[in-house]
Amino acid sequence: MTTLDDRPVTEPTVQRTRRYSKGQAFVNWVTSTDHKTIGYMYLITSFIFFGLAGLMALGIRAELAQPGLQFVSNEQYNQLFTMHGTIMLFLFATPLFVGFGNVIMPLQIGAPDVAFPRLNMLGFWLFLFGGIIAALGFFTPGGAAAFGWFAYTPLSTETFSPGVGGDLWLLGLSLGGLSTILGSVNFITTILTMRAPGMTMFRTSIFTWTIFITSVLVLIAFPILAAALLGLFLDRNFGSLIFDPANGGAILWQHLFWFFGHPEVYIIALPFFGIASEILPVFSRKPIFGYKGLVYATMAIAALSVAVWAHHMYVTGAVSLSFFALTTMLIAVPTGVKFFNWIGTMWRGSISFETPMLWTIGFLTTFLIGGLTGVMLAAPAIDFHVSDSYFVVAHFHYTVFGTVVFMMFAGFYFWWPKMTGRMLDEKLGKFHFWLLFIGFHTTFLVQHWLGAEGMPRRYSDYLASDGFTTLNVVSSVGAAILGISTLPWLYNVYKTWRFAPKVTSDDPWGWGMSLEWATSCPPPRYNFVRIPRIRSERPAFDLHHPELGDDPNTNGQLAGKTH
Amino acid sequence: MKPSGLIYLVGALFYFVVSTIYWFWTEEIVGTTAMSLTGFLALLTGFYVLFTARRVGVGPEDIETAEIADADPDYGFYSPGSWWPLPVAFSAAVIALGLIFAVWLLLLGVIALFISIGGWTMEYYRGPRLPEA
Repeated sequence: MTTLDDRPVTEPTVQRTRRYSKGQAFVNWVTSTDHKTIGYMYLITSFIFFGLAGLMALGIRAELAQPGLQFVSNEQYNQLFTMHGTIMLFLFATPLFVGFGNVIMPLQIGAPDVAFPRLNMLGFWLFLFGGIIAALGFFTPGGAAAFGWFAYTPLSTETFSPGVGGDLWLLGLSLGGLSTILGSVNFITTILTMRAPGMTMFRTSIFTWTIFITSVLVLIAFPILAAALLGLFLDRNFGSLIFDPANGGAILWQHLFWFFGHPEVYIIALPFFGIASEILPVFSRKPIFGYKGLVYATMAIAALSVAVWAHHMYVTGAVSLSFFALTTMLIAVPTGVKFFNWIGTMWRGSISFETPMLWTIGFLTTFLIGGLTGVMLAAPAIDFHVSDSYFVVAHFHYTVFGTVVFMMFAGFYFWWPKMTGRMLDEKLGKFHFWLLFIGFHTTFLVQHWLGAEGMPRRYSDYLASDGFTTLNVVSSVGAAILGISTLPWLYNVYKTWRFAPKVTSDDPWGWGMSLEWATSCPPPRYNFVRIPRIRSERPAFDLHHPELGDDPNTNGQLAGKTH
Repeated sequence: MKPSGLIYLVGALFYFVVSTIYWFWTEEIVGTTAMSLTGFLALLTGFYVLFTARRVGVGPEDIETAEIADADPDYGFYSPGSWWPLPVAFSAAVIALGLIFAVWLLLLGVIALFISIGGWTMEYYRGPRLPEA
């Protein structure tokens, strides 16, 4: 399967001539152990969950557009924002990381598949069934979980949140968490043991590094979540008193939840930083600036992210403000290093603005604002005033939407030819970007002011005399634009699927760096017919542009010294 | 694999230092426990990776001048496709629903889980081939 680059080989025909019937194709997908197919299933499923949670968000914004209750009751409103947060975090962003990691990472390290193909598929099914169980609450008499996505006790106990909606939420998320843990074990093993010859750890792509480090974070954070969820389930159903307020259980829950919750936001951020680090060098025509700095910054963010959790708990008065303010502000340093490296990559590069690059720059601006408000919130003196207000809502939407959604679309536009063999339409893509960009900032920028003026989060209503109406109307109009921006994207996918010509080259962008651009679009089963010799962290670039890279005949003497 | 193992040990050191500082700074018990256990997790993984690295030696993926042909041609067995992950995950989901709704559903899920795990484990094992009569 793997052959020397300069040895004449008779290429096996990778193009399948046989057409599968619909039933056979379906069976091929549900029994697949191919990391790419499983990755596509992850991406498609999490995108569907993204659409559902997005519709819930539109419901929330419609309700908030005017004072008074127009569309939903208070209880339904609670269910909407709880399930919006839950689905976005657990059933969209986290599996999206597993999806991109599955499709791209084995290609980038030159592996034929992941280490445990069947375990990979088990992870997908657990995620799907867990997600369905968590969402089933909407069809129960008491409705879905309504205690907020972080399920603070005692609100989430049987006394204050009776009904099976909460139980379905707890066990559904436990299954989903198990799926993420299995996926991460798979990624770590694959990266440690299945790299191609010559692909040392410090030659793997930044994206592979972020997948590796994120997986380590998953193994730290998710077992604690599972313990907390199952403990609460015992409390609700079997009368245990783990989270009984009389024993300090309320604070114990917050500690456990945020000890998971803060690493979680980096679990969903780091892989998407990795995608940005893949796209910027390709469209700047420059190697990534400060490769090792980026790797160490990623490790530093991951390590520190485990020591900042209680900044979510400042207002409880039960945690050390100084310790957590210090660690939280420290984490801005490696994040700043990353920004420095991204800008350094673009600096004096020959930049072109294809859609993936556009989305990445959209991410840089959006996430920067979110990061800055994050540093503000890290200061307890500010946090006490805006905690649980719309300022916080604006902050985390800038960080999380800025990273996950912007870089998801960047990754889709960037890797679509690699995944499907067809290029997405550039014009529609740019239209999609600007519509979403304007919609997003219209929705969330004004929420900073709403929060500063004192509008609390999770309230279904406000008074006309509060003076929140104007900004809420602006925000809801923005949300409508944001929702509409999905239409050109869906049309683009349809149009590309039906009418776009097949990509013939391995590297349709022309300046692809990492190894996935050295195989066909889409790659064959087991990924490579042949792997080029690996002498730097951009083997595909060395292969396609030998005149610009290191001479492979120097046998690696110069490799790795160019950045 | 050696550098990867060392990364874990650095992580272990970091968490031991931070949890010690945290304990003396705040005397808060949940965070101290969680962070020091994170340190032990990193230590365990790092030890195992380094131990394995020592046992298997340096592979071509860790040699900067390795050729693709240096890889072991026998790459191991890869499942070409399998039905079993679906019933295993489905049984797990039935167990979850059984815990919420009914004991009989729970028992059904546990039985289904054992059967499907058996199927998964034995999928590619069909017993020794008997001598042809």
